[in-house]
Amino acid sequence: MKLPATSSSKAPVKFRMPTADNLVPIRLDIETEGQRYKDAFTWNPSDPDSEVVVFAKRTVRDLKLPPQFITQIAQSIQTQLTEFRSYEGQDMYTAEKIVPIKLDLRVNHTLIKDHFLWDLNNYESDPEEFARTFCNDMGIEDPEVGPAVAFAIREQLYEIAIQSVASAREIKISKKGRRGAEHAISSKGGGNALDLMKLFRYNSSVVRKRKEWYVYEPIVDILSNEEVDALEAREDRNTR
Amino acid sequence: MEMPQYDPNTKPEFELYTIPSHSSWFRWDDIHETERTALKEFFDGSSISRTPKIYKEYRDFMINKYREEPSRRLTFTQVRKSLVGDVSLLHKVFRFLDEWGLINFGAVSRGDDSDNRDSSLGDTELKNQVKIEEGAPNGVRVVALPNSLKPISVPNSGADGSGNGKVAVAGETGVKLPPLASYSDVFGDLVKLKGFKCGSCGEQCNSGCYEYSKGSFVICEKCFKNGNYGEDKSKDDFRFSDLGGNSLTHGATWTEAETLLLLESVMRHGDNWELVAQNVPTKSKLDCISKLIELPFGEFMMGSAHEMNSCPTGSLNSLKEGQSASSENQNDVKMEDQVHDQMNESKQNGDAATEEPPAKRKRIAPLSDGGSTLIKQVAHISTMVGPHVTAAAAEAAVAALCNESSCPREIFDGDEDYLANGLSSPTMVSDPERALQVDASKMEENQSDLTETQDASSEKNDVPLNLRIRTATATALGAAAANAKLLADQEDREIEHLVAIIIETQMKKLHSKINYFDDLELIMEKEYNEMMQLKECLVEERIDVLERALKTGVSKWRS
Repeated sequence: MKLPATSSSKAPVKFRMPTADNLVPIRLDIETEGQRYKDAFTWNPSDPDSEVVVFAKRTVRDLKLPPQFITQIAQSIQTQLTEFRSYEGQDMYTAEKIVPIKLDLRVNHTLIKDHFLWDLNNYESDPEEFARTFCNDMGIEDPEVGPAVAFAIREQLYEIAIQSVASAREIKISKKGRRGAEHAISSKGGGNALDLMKLFRYNSSVVRKRKEWYVYEPIVDILSNEEVDALEAREDRNTR
Repeated sequence: MEMPQYDPNTKPEFELYTIPSHSSWFRWDDIHETERTALKEFFDGSSISRTPKIYKEYRDFMINKYREEPSRRLTFTQVRKSLVGDVSLLHKVFRFLDEWGLINFGAVSRGDDSDNRDSSLGDTELKNQVKIEEGAPNGVRVVALPNSLKPISVPNSGADGSGNGKVAVAGETGVKLPPLASYSDVFGDLVKLKGFKCGSCGEQCNSGCYEYSKGSFVICEKCFKNGNYGEDKSKDDFRFSDLGGNSLTHGATWTEAETLLLLESVMRHGDNWELVAQNVPTKSKLDCISKLIELPFGEFMMGSAHEMNSCPTGSLNSLKEGQSASSENQNDVKMEDQVHDQMNESKQNGDAATEEPPAKRKRIAPLSDGGSTLIKQVAHISTMVGPHVTAAAAEAAVAALCNESSCPREIFDGDEDYLANGLSSPTMVSDPERALQVDASKMEENQSDLTETQDASSEKNDVPLNLRIRTATATALGAAAANAKLLADQEDREIEHLVAIIIETQMKKLHSKINYFDDLELIMEKEYNEMMQLKECLVEERIDVLERALKTGVSKWRS
C-alpha cells in the first residue's frame, strides 16, 4: 500500500522501531491482592508467543509472587505485543525527523535528567549503546540504570513512530492531492521535530552557544534513602 | 597546530599534540578520503543535516575540546551537549576520532572499563578504591599502535625522545609510561583490602565497615560508634558499606565441606536457591550461584538436578561422593566403625551378603586389619560403578573364585538363590543412591534390608568369612575392570570413527582433484578444437591466395 504522491519526501516504509534492533518496549504495572509489580523491559516481537507464558512463569517464580500474577503478566505482555503488531502492517512516514528526547527517570537511587536529539530516520541507531556509553561516561555503577535509560528512549521512539503512522493514515484519508499531501506531511511532521532548515542552514553553526550547554547536559543524582522513599510515596499517590 | 610525528631535534616552539602516525593524513583545512569513506552519511547529500561542512564542525569541535586538556579522557557525553544533531551520528564521529587517535590519544586509560567491571572484584566499594592501576597489569603488553606488535619501552624522561621513535613524547603534553607493574603491585591492595582492616583500631571488620568517601580509609562499626574517625575526618564523610551481602571476603573462601554441601543441596533442591542457601549456612544465595557456575560441571548439575538418570552427572556425582566418602572415612578413627563401614559397603555391592553376629565381627577385626586399606580402596572403586555392572562383576568374580577350587563352588551353588536375592535388593537400594550422598543412615537401611533377607535364609550362613572377603575384593576389581574395558571399547570406536572420517576426507580431496583435472581436460580439448579450426581457416586462406595468384598469372611464380 504505497502512496505514489510522496515521491519528494521519503517514501513510506513499513512500520518498525527506528532502531537497529526491532525491539518493543513493554511496561508492566500490575496490582493484585495488595502486591504491586512494576517492570519495564524490551521484547523481541519475532519471538514465538509461547515465550510470553514461559517468561511470566519464570518471573513469578523468581520474584516469589502469588500465582495469580502469571496470567495477568502474560495478558499484559500479549496485549502490548498485539498492539505493536497491529501497527506493523501499516506505513509510516519517516521524513527527516530529528526529535528531542528527554530523559527523566529514577532507577533505585539514581535520578537522571537528560535532553538530546535523536534522528528517527537512522535505522542503525542503538538505544542500548547510547545507554552503555552514558553509564560509562557518567560512572554509574548501578547495573539497572543502563537498561532503564535504553528503555525510556525506546518508549519515546515507539510513541513517535505510532504518531507517524497515525499521521500517515490521516494523510491518506485527506485526499488533498499531491501538493496538499506534501504540505500535510511537513506540517504533520510533528510539533516535536526540529526545523532542520533552520538548524542546519549554511551560515549557522552546529555548535551550540555555551549558555545553552546546560540545557542539553545530563544530570545524574544519587539520592539518599529518605529521598527515595519520599519520591516513591509521591509516585504512588499520583498513579492511584 | 600539530605535527603528526615528533622529530627530537627540532625545538618545539608551539604546543605539540601527539597523534599516531597512521593518522598523519589529518589536516585541519581539509577532509580526507579516510573520513569520507568512514562517515559516508555526511557526504552523500542525503540530508540537509549531514553535510561536509557540518561534519567538519563536529570534528573540529571535538578535537579542540579534547586538546584543551589532553591528559584527561574526553567522554562523549561532554561533547554531545554542545553539538546539535543526532546523538547516534555524533557518537559515530566521536568513535571514529577515538579509533584513529585524533582524540584521547594521550589520555589515561579508564580505570573502570567495562572489562574490569566484570572482574571478580564484586564489591562495588573495592572498585572505587582500586581505581587506577599503575601501568599495565601482568600479562598485557603495551604497544605503540593499536595493531603493531612492537612493545613500548619506557621513555627515560618526558623531554627527550622515547626509546623507540614511534611514541612521540612532546614537551609538556607528553605521555610518560610508568614502569610495568608486577602482580603484587597491582593486586596487593586488593589482597589487603579483602580483609578490610579497620583504619583506626586495626581489627578486622567483618560485618560492616564505614568507608571514607574521600579516600580509601576504612573503619569498623565499633570505631564509628565510638567516634574514632581518624585524623581530620568528620562523621558525615563516612559511608556505610555492608560486607555481608556482596563482600569479597565471605564469597572467596569455599572449603571442601561447603562445596560438598552446596552440591548436595543443589541436587536436592535444584533451582530453588533460597533452600540451597539455607542449607549452606555460611554462604549467601549469590555466592552459591556464582560458585556453582564456577565449578567445571556446575552447569550440568543445575540442569540435571531433577533427572536422576543422566549418566554423566551420575558418574560425576558418585565420583564426588566417592571422594567425599574417602575423606569422611579418613577421618574415621574407630576401628570397629571402620570395619563396619567397609563391610557394609562391600555388602551393598551385591555380594552375597550375610550378617555376622557382632561378636564374631570383633574377633575378626585384627585379621582384616592388614587388608583394610585394600578393602577401602576396593569399596570406593565399586561405588563408582553402576549396580548392574557390579552385579555382573560379582557373578564373574564368583565364577573366577569357583574355578580356583571346587569347594567354594559347592558352597556358592547352594547359595545361588540367596545370591540372587541378595543381589537384587542392594541393586534396588543403590539405584536411588546413585545421585545421593553416601550416608551412614542409608547404610543402616541397607543393613535392615539385608537382615530381613538374611533371616529368611539363615541356615546358609556357613560360607566362611575369608571367602566372602575374597569375593568382595574380586567383585570390586572385576567391576573396575569391566568399566575400564568399556572405556577402552569406547576409545576404540572413537578411533575407528575418526579414521573413517580421515579416509573420507582424503577421498573427497581426491575426488575434487579429479574433477578439477577433468575440467582442465575439457578446456584443453576445446582449445585444441579451436586451434584445429583456426588451422583449417588458415589453410583455406592460403589456398585462396594461391588460386588468386595462379589466376593472375603463372609468371609471377616463375620469376
